[in-house]
Amino acid sequence: MSWNVGAVVGLALLNAALVLVLAPLAEGVMRKLRALIHSRKGPPIRQPYLDLAKLLAKEDLRVTPGLFYAVMPSLTLGAVLVLATLVPMGARPPLGFAGDVVVLLYVTAASAVLMMLTAFASRSPYAFVGGSREMMLLMAVEPVMAVALVTGAVKAGSLSAGAIMEWNAANGPTLSMAVAGFALLLALQAQAGRLPFDIPEADQEIMGGTFIEQSGPRLALFRWAMWAKQLVVALLLVELFVPWPRFGLLPVDLVLALVKAMVVLLLVAVIDAVNPRLRIDQAISYYAKVAFSSLAALAFAVIGM
Amino acid sequence: MAAQSLLGWCVALLGVGAAASLIVSRRRELAGWVALVAVAIAWVPLALLVVAGFSRGVPEFDVLALPSLGARLAVAVDPLSALFLAVTAVIALAAVLYSVHYMTHYRADGVAKFYPVLLVFFAATIGVLVTQDLLFFLVFWELMTLTSFFLVIFERESPASQRAGLKYFVITHAATLCMLAAFLLLWRQSGSFHLAAAREAMGVMLVERPLTAHLVLLLLLIGFATKAGVLPMGDWLPDAHPVAPSGMSAVLSGALVKLGIYGLIRVFCGLLPAASSFGWGVVIALAGTGSLLVGALTALRQNDSKRLLAFSTIGQIGYICLALGVGVACLAEQPALAVVALAGALLHLVNHACFKSCLFMGAGAVLFRTGERDLDRLGGLWHQMPATAGSTTVGSLALAGVPPFNGFASKWLIICSCLLAGLQRPIFMVLGLVALFASLATLAYVLKVLGAVFFGAAQRRFVVDEVPVSMALPQVALAGLCVLLGVLPQLPLRLVSPAVTAAVPGGIPAAGDVLGGLLGISITVDGATVAGWAPLLVLATGIVLSALVWGLQRMGGATVREVPVWNCGEEHDSGIVRYAASSFYLPFKQAIAGIYPRLSLRAPRFPSPVRRTLEMDSWLYLPVARLMERVSHSTSRLHVGVPQVYLMWIVLGAIIVVGLVMVVAG
Repeated sequence: MSWNVGAVVGLALLNAALVLVLAPLAEGVMRKLRALIHSRKGPPIRQPYLDLAKLLAKEDLRVTPGLFYAVMPSLTLGAVLVLATLVPMGARPPLGFAGDVVVLLYVTAASAVLMMLTAFASRSPYAFVGGSREMMLLMAVEPVMAVALVTGAVKAGSLSAGAIMEWNAANGPTLSMAVAGFALLLALQAQAGRLPFDIPEADQEIMGGTFIEQSGPRLALFRWAMWAKQLVVALLLVELFVPWPRFGLLPVDLVLALVKAMVVLLLVAVIDAVNPRLRIDQAISYYAKVAFSSLAALAFAVIGM
Repeated sequence: MAAQSLLGWCVALLGVGAAASLIVSRRRELAGWVALVAVAIAWVPLALLVVAGFSRGVPEFDVLALPSLGARLAVAVDPLSALFLAVTAVIALAAVLYSVHYMTHYRADGVAKFYPVLLVFFAATIGVLVTQDLLFFLVFWELMTLTSFFLVIFERESPASQRAGLKYFVITHAATLCMLAAFLLLWRQSGSFHLAAAREAMGVMLVERPLTAHLVLLLLLIGFATKAGVLPMGDWLPDAHPVAPSGMSAVLSGALVKLGIYGLIRVFCGLLPAASSFGWGVVIALAGTGSLLVGALTALRQNDSKRLLAFSTIGQIGYICLALGVGVACLAEQPALAVVALAGALLHLVNHACFKSCLFMGAGAVLFRTGERDLDRLGGLWHQMPATAGSTTVGSLALAGVPPFNGFASKWLIICSCLLAGLQRPIFMVLGLVALFASLATLAYVLKVLGAVFFGAAQRRFVVDEVPVSMALPQVALAGLCVLLGVLPQLPLRLVSPAVTAAVPGGIPAAGDVLGGLLGISITVDGATVAGWAPLLVLATGIVLSALVWGLQRMGGATVREVPVWNCGEEHDSGIVRYAASSFYLPFKQAIAGIYPRLSLRAPRFPSPVRRTLEMDSWLYLPVARLMERVSHSTSRLHVGVPQVYLMWIVLGAIIVVGLVMVVAG
């Protein structure tokens, strides 16, 4: 395997930095759209940046002493940024050789694990309720993502995300990839923590659940991590399942990918704006149905469609 | 030193240790230290034996021969045996060190029935792993089963422990019977109990009498899978693990159930020719998948910390069996993938020994200090038992396969092998997806344990200390091993690879060609790299990025203040406002309620005349007893407590005696 250390490090940093910088922007645009659907004026698009700046400067109130609890928010956002280096953005994923789609699935879960551990460590019963719901939702959503990614792996004959992207770009749309991409889109709604699946936070019900005891800089990092995660999963969706057109020129492909991801996120925002929250058992049975239906994608892939 | 004398020394030291700890068993701690010293010294020859096994292999030699039976105690150590010996040795040392203090909290039961039996158990395990002869294999196997049975029923006065022991005894002996039948069938074919002869016999039988050959394989599958804890035969496991002393639970999960896997590998990779292995591979993989799904989901529903871990062992053994099945099935058609799958199975076995022993010791440490195994009643122990909490957290995350801990490396290999094999045979892809889902369920239950035991608030305020160093040290060491083997999976892989090669006598591609990678593991099939996992690189990226984010967090210059938990303004004791372990995942648990059915078996009833005859109480004992009672009752009426009456009796008696004497004399 021949790879240039400098290029890998540069691309990895580029991916992480892009996600870090652009995630609040995407969130701002989504909020604006949501407001428009509600016939409100809505906050300015730069509002998420202002929120972060304000939160970072506020007092840091902690209910649990100790280093373990203190570093959790940075580790969570760090895990999401690692995920960003495993996802193709305009080019093969920079750390694609170090982690294939199975690693990608586990790293996606890892950021959720860190959030749940923080919730449990904050000792609030509301956080426990939130953490327990988050885990159930994860159990329901991850299989859908897994089926979608494995469908790609079957088509490409490789478990590497870059290989799946290149195969799809070269061979054009197929039925199985379309079904798998649609399943991943449905999974994105919950991965982004959006209505109707914002059940772990459920502000009106358990007051932020997982994050009830987080404030100031800690809350800023967790919010940032959530926004970054929705952007990364959207990028994964568009790069693996809608990689056309492809120019082979990094800046062009990158901008194209970001635009496509933004469109996907706007779709997510629309669903978010027009839906009420589901109960957790309804969400589980919904995603169970999606997972079983998405097996059709796998079946199509196996018979070569 | 010759291998023969190394093995001799090893067994002799364990025997001397057993005797010595029996002599001093009145003093609990001293007996423990004596056993520990014995195991530690026995480590030296064992380690040399393992090194010899890995480097050049210990050629076969006879210790004892029974020519009339066609049996001889032939001993050899190949890399596969050496790998299992190494795992057993590590777990043995950790478990004995842990037990030194742990065993002091049993009041009613003496350690005379713990340390000596445990050391004999280790010796028997070594015997199982090195012998090349089926008859002596069975002898050692039986010795191992019996000693472990006595360790399970250690608590004499606990009915649960006795019941679990009986179940273990009955089920494992039924399994041993299956193995005995299979070995006898092989012996009838070849006239010898030797492993190589059995291999030839199996080859001949598959051609001449395929039905018998497959019957032999089925019997061996049942026999070994029972010991390994594969459902449904593994039903003994969730009862036996929780009731054994925690050090022994660690050994049961870390070493004993692994021997079932050892047997399966020897049979289905060694005895069975690759050409006819596909069907059996699918059977093993399906059994493993069933086990891993049911084990994980049932563990999710448990509220007893050790019982939960026992079900989790069933689940993890399921992973190993799944990989083993995929490996066996791929032997003929895709030998490169067979290497990946078998390496995944063996690596997961090594990893599972590390984290599950660590977790059982952690659960034992909590039990030792608080006397509780009920997750609903525990809580908030993080700051009181930091070493236990930290190592249990690491072990739990490793169990759940969170990168970069060791459980992830092996689960990654297993799932990749399933998915890649699935490109040809879609069934394996479905099994791989089930395994992925089960690892999420695993994550769910370990988070429940962590949340319930170490985080959260205690219902009764437990004011406890950390466990003594001798109990904390093995936990921390095993947790450290979980991190080390996770970050540098190429190190254990270097031991696993020769074991894979040794497991398949028919020849298999060298593991180095398939599983390469300088920084981690990469899978190369037909010259193309199809999957990769480089933990060091990903971990380094994560650390660098997290550090940058940490800098970002500190940029605002926020001041830190500690505050109490906010319960909506109400001031409650934190022990009252808490989320109990049994409340976790309720909707999900309700959905899977029927996944582990309970059979309630009734003892057979004899026909009533027989039953009446057997009830000797009613026709023999009770009538006699009642008669005696009546007689003594009427006798007691004479004892009225008035001296005059007694005097009257004496006078009457004297008159009667005098009368008798006169009659006799006259």
